[in-house]
Amino acid sequence: MGRKIVVLLVAVALLCMAIPAYAATAEWWQKAAALYKGVTIRGVSESTPPSKAVRDYAARSFEKLTGIKVEFEVTSWDEMYTKSISDISRGTGIYDFIYVEQDIIYAYLVKDWLTDMTEIMESKPQLTDPDLDIDDFTTFIDYFKDADGHVFGIPFEAFLKSYVYRKDLFEDSEIRAAFKAEYGWDLRPPKDWDEYTQIAKFFTAWGKKKDIDLYGHVAQAKTHPCVAYEMVESIWPAWGIYNWGINLEKWRATVENGGTLNSKRAKEAFRWYIDMLKYAPPGVRTYTWDETAAVVGAGKIAQGLIYLENLPWIEMDTSKSVVTGKIGVALPPTYPGIMSEAARGLGYIGYYDGGAFSIPISSRKKEAAWLFIQWATRKEWSPKFAELAGRVCRKSTFASPEIKALNPKLAGYYDILREKGFLFAGAAPLPMHRPLNEIYLKWVSKTVAGEVDPDVAVDSLAKEVDKLLVELGY
Amino acid sequence: MRSSQYKAWGLLTPTLCILFFIGLVPFLYVVYLSLFKYNIFSVQGMVFTGVDNFRKLMFDSDFMHSLRIGVTFVVITCVVEMFLGLAIALFLTNEFVGKGVFRTVLALPLAVAPITIGSIWVLMTNPDVGPLPYLLDKIGVNYNIGVNARQAFFTIVIMDIWHWTPFVTLTLLAGITGFPREPFEAARVDGASRLQTLRYLTLPLLTPVILTMLFIRIMDTFRIFDEVWMLTSGGPGTATRCVSIHVVRLILTSTDYGYGSGMSVFLLYLTIVMCWLLLNIISVVRRETRER
Repeated sequence: MGRKIVVLLVAVALLCMAIPAYAATAEWWQKAAALYKGVTIRGVSESTPPSKAVRDYAARSFEKLTGIKVEFEVTSWDEMYTKSISDISRGTGIYDFIYVEQDIIYAYLVKDWLTDMTEIMESKPQLTDPDLDIDDFTTFIDYFKDADGHVFGIPFEAFLKSYVYRKDLFEDSEIRAAFKAEYGWDLRPPKDWDEYTQIAKFFTAWGKKKDIDLYGHVAQAKTHPCVAYEMVESIWPAWGIYNWGINLEKWRATVENGGTLNSKRAKEAFRWYIDMLKYAPPGVRTYTWDETAAVVGAGKIAQGLIYLENLPWIEMDTSKSVVTGKIGVALPPTYPGIMSEAARGLGYIGYYDGGAFSIPISSRKKEAAWLFIQWATRKEWSPKFAELAGRVCRKSTFASPEIKALNPKLAGYYDILREKGFLFAGAAPLPMHRPLNEIYLKWVSKTVAGEVDPDVAVDSLAKEVDKLLVELGY
Repeated sequence: MRSSQYKAWGLLTPTLCILFFIGLVPFLYVVYLSLFKYNIFSVQGMVFTGVDNFRKLMFDSDFMHSLRIGVTFVVITCVVEMFLGLAIALFLTNEFVGKGVFRTVLALPLAVAPITIGSIWVLMTNPDVGPLPYLLDKIGVNYNIGVNARQAFFTIVIMDIWHWTPFVTLTLLAGITGFPREPFEAARVDGASRLQTLRYLTLPLLTPVILTMLFIRIMDTFRIFDEVWMLTSGGPGTATRCVSIHVVRLILTSTDYGYGSGMSVFLLYLTIVMCWLLLNIISVVRRETRER
């Protein structure tokens, strides 16, 4: 009995020590937000797992704590950009915080559309969370800084687009034997595109042979901006065609003008991409990034490249995925020599995707928005968000017990992100990337639909890119 | 000015103000923008180019391709909807068991928003889970609108016909039920066959309604966007890239505000010309019908 009382007393004492620590934090937020209590701030973001987590968890708890109401619109990717760009360019001030994907940041910075957060931190220290700790963010935050190192966005999601495969199938003895008999090497994640192609062929044929819905490849091939992004961010870089094939010094894409977009290797990669669609499910030309992940979760895909923000639900959510615990993660296959090129910092093998919250210059409630952004990205919540949405933006998150426990469940994805993240890169610094994407989309989707030959498409694309760059003054 | 006139202007003023701000001002702004080379991500800003955007339009193969798709779409859907709508409307003039249920079911697509219609068709035509590819596969047809441009185009045509034929039917039916009885009774007494009654009485009397309907449908189909955007987004490739989708992509995605404005102005001009032609035909037909 006496021991029980001692244990109870110790527990109560620990609790008493913890409460003031929490209360002080809560008090700080309430005090900082006191001036803005009752204010409503509006934000817009893409409908992704991290954004939904922010809307459903961070926004609600922030409202409860501070009295600042948060209306967070989570919509489609293109709708989000249309809304943000219309709002900022017209100065209407509808949105107080917006999602800025890494690839659009260059355009926004060139147009001076974003609020300088470093300036806010310096001028309004009373509104800056003492625990904000900018240095704790991974190098991903560098994409949201200007040339002077000023921060214009606080990252809240960062993830890789990489290779996933069905561990259960790759480890199946019957499959392994059949594969070795056919191709003469042991089935494992591919190192180059030839190996990838062989695996794709094998599994699509295996699915047919066994009369099961299984395919060896998947792609986001719908007539949608995603098909262009797949080429420029994942396929071409892994074949050694960087920066969308554009020479960033000469601002031209054609080989004749110094670019690489219609180079021999770019054409080879593009032909490969088109040819591989026959190993994907019949509906592949109706897939965007969402369907690509969904079809992996449905257990129909043996291997493919997907945005790994989807990995947590594919691996752990039994209500959505039939392959929980069966997915492996690896680096994407590359063209010979590209992996070492990336390791030496001379290139990259795939896309380091993600985004940040920024405050549009047109916002009229910048202070309240700044408080919310800090709340949604704060250190103590990062592991929880990583769990909910599979993204890590802070170094400290990797060391958290939650992430350490989660890592094996996600096939060691966080180890890859931490240790191999440097092999991937964000989008090229192309301020005109929106209009450019439209041209890439046009030619890639025309080829996917069989309207034009891949080589002709790449030549036409490169010429149109040069023309657009001239028109835009580059 | 008399007091009644002051009163009339007073009552009209709020409406005129609203129309001025939501109709005329944006239109004038678009006309203004169409005279500039203006992409929001250009380093040059706005550059006055006069009518160069309109000149460029005439040589733009992508725009012409979209226009061709749009016009083909309009012609096929309007013709089919008119014939089908008329046939069903005539059928509904007969009494039969379950007529009420048939009419209700027929009108159901009209109650659904275009974007939802698009979603329904996305699910129906999905090659992985859709019933259409599955059923067509049973009869040996490989149906995949992500691959086959012709199938994609005819799918959006059928989707529009499915959606809007009930509207044509109900309007024509309203026209038919409003006919005077006397000429039809006289025709019956004179021994006119059903075909003769249709040719010499029903169709001439119905012509103004048919033309008005055609006028509305041409305008609607020419600017179709939601359903097609939802179902194919203009693809595969550019197979279903109608003019509205082309303009939206140019302005919202490519952010080419100047050229996009020029295109919008040109399309407005084209629509006005078509309206004017049709309205003239309608007035001539109405006059002739009255004279008869």
